[in-house]
Amino acid sequence: MAITRINIGPVHPSTHGVLRLVVDLDGDMIERVETHIGFLHRGVEKLVETRMYMQSPAYMEKLDYVAPLSYDEAYVAVVEKALGIEVKERAQYARVILLELQRIASHLLWLGTMCNDLGQMFTVFMWSFKDRDMVLKLLEEASGNRMFYVNVRLGGLQRELPPDFEAQTLEVMDYMEKRTAEYERYIERNPVFMERMKGVGVLSSKDAKDLGVTGPVLRASGVEYDVRKNNPYYVYENLHFSMKSQEKGDNFSRYRVRIMEIKESIRLIREAFGRMPASGDMAGMPIRLRSPEPVNKVSKLSRELPRGECLMYMVADPQKPYRLSIRSPSFINLAALSHIAKGQRLADLFAILGSLDLVMGCVDR
Amino acid sequence: MKIDREQLTSQVDRMKKNGYDYLVKITAVDYSDHVEAIYMLRNLDAGKDESLEVELKNDDLWVPSVMRSYRGADWYERELSEMFGIEIRGRTAERLLLEKWDGANPPLRKDFVWGVQYKAKEE
Repeated sequence: MAITRINIGPVHPSTHGVLRLVVDLDGDMIERVETHIGFLHRGVEKLVETRMYMQSPAYMEKLDYVAPLSYDEAYVAVVEKALGIEVKERAQYARVILLELQRIASHLLWLGTMCNDLGQMFTVFMWSFKDRDMVLKLLEEASGNRMFYVNVRLGGLQRELPPDFEAQTLEVMDYMEKRTAEYERYIERNPVFMERMKGVGVLSSKDAKDLGVTGPVLRASGVEYDVRKNNPYYVYENLHFSMKSQEKGDNFSRYRVRIMEIKESIRLIREAFGRMPASGDMAGMPIRLRSPEPVNKVSKLSRELPRGECLMYMVADPQKPYRLSIRSPSFINLAALSHIAKGQRLADLFAILGSLDLVMGCVDR
Repeated sequence: MKIDREQLTSQVDRMKKNGYDYLVKITAVDYSDHVEAIYMLRNLDAGKDESLEVELKNDDLWVPSVMRSYRGADWYERELSEMFGIEIRGRTAERLLLEKWDGANPPLRKDFVWGVQYKAKEE
């Protein structure tokens, strides 16, 4: 049969940002997907070379506007490593709590948009957005901003958590636990959802390793790697973190991994509050024009972001990064799209794309 | 680990056989007098990371492709050639990864000229 070539995007409601796909079809089956990226490229890696160390966190947050705090923290952490600054213990717990809250918010947004991509289900989108907003309110309490927080400072946080933060958070977590169970109950009984998720977009564990995918996509294919477990940072070692993975590598497995991660994050937050030292402060260094001199020329560190592993590689200069290389999780997960989509139906392309949980700002940098 | 460019593909092959089956990232740093390409590999089972650093002379910027060992290298290699002007040999030529521009004056090199208007390349 003749091959039909169709163009999707750059502006399309289901591409979650500006992404262009050129799809070659044989009837209804996908033969090849050509991915065009770069519409949101802002040259962040070059830009940070021209800014002082603590001028850049705001740029980092704009990379992944769904989970800004995670990028902020990863960047500040690599600067701390280069400058040889220790993070206060209480601040470590606070950072873990905020990062896990951010993960819940990010996964909830994913859940809503994923169901939208499958059609007919604006209900879940409305629910998860409402719930996500409760988490955003907590982050706002802690940082003062609703969306872009910029409250991670060298050695700690911008300020102490508010006095009633713990009580408020635990209350929201109780609610969130009930809601997650509800999501599972409603969604997994929905025949439309299940038909389009189970057995669609399968990625074997061998291919997952070979293509280098990361985060929930990697774990859904049965490869157990989570930076929080395999290369723990902060206090994750003290918390009883259990990694979530699935075997089949289809859309449904990726959904399951994320749902289980929400539950695990809720548990981690509770445990972290329980173990957080009552005394001590968490205030970091205020932003000054001059920062301390770097002690490490080359620093490298990994963080488990909601979308997968982010690796920051920094060559330090006095006052400014000489070079910052960011391994963005969405970038490499999107690179795997053409492999996963091959041989699938065109209608499933957006189900697969949605299940990879991409943020185009993070892809293009 | 610093290695020569000539040994890169054989070293990568050997490491893949020894359990380093995951490519984390390929990146580069321009040190003005030379460019360093960095290959970060990981042994997922043992949880070990290893970096291979290849030093390249400014007037001789090319590296062999490692696509044969890791398919995930595709976009990283294209990024490398676009952002650093490093030629990747031994793989099929693809269009630029980011959209339409002529590819001259690679942006992540230190001698990058700021503020130059680029002409969009016709497809």
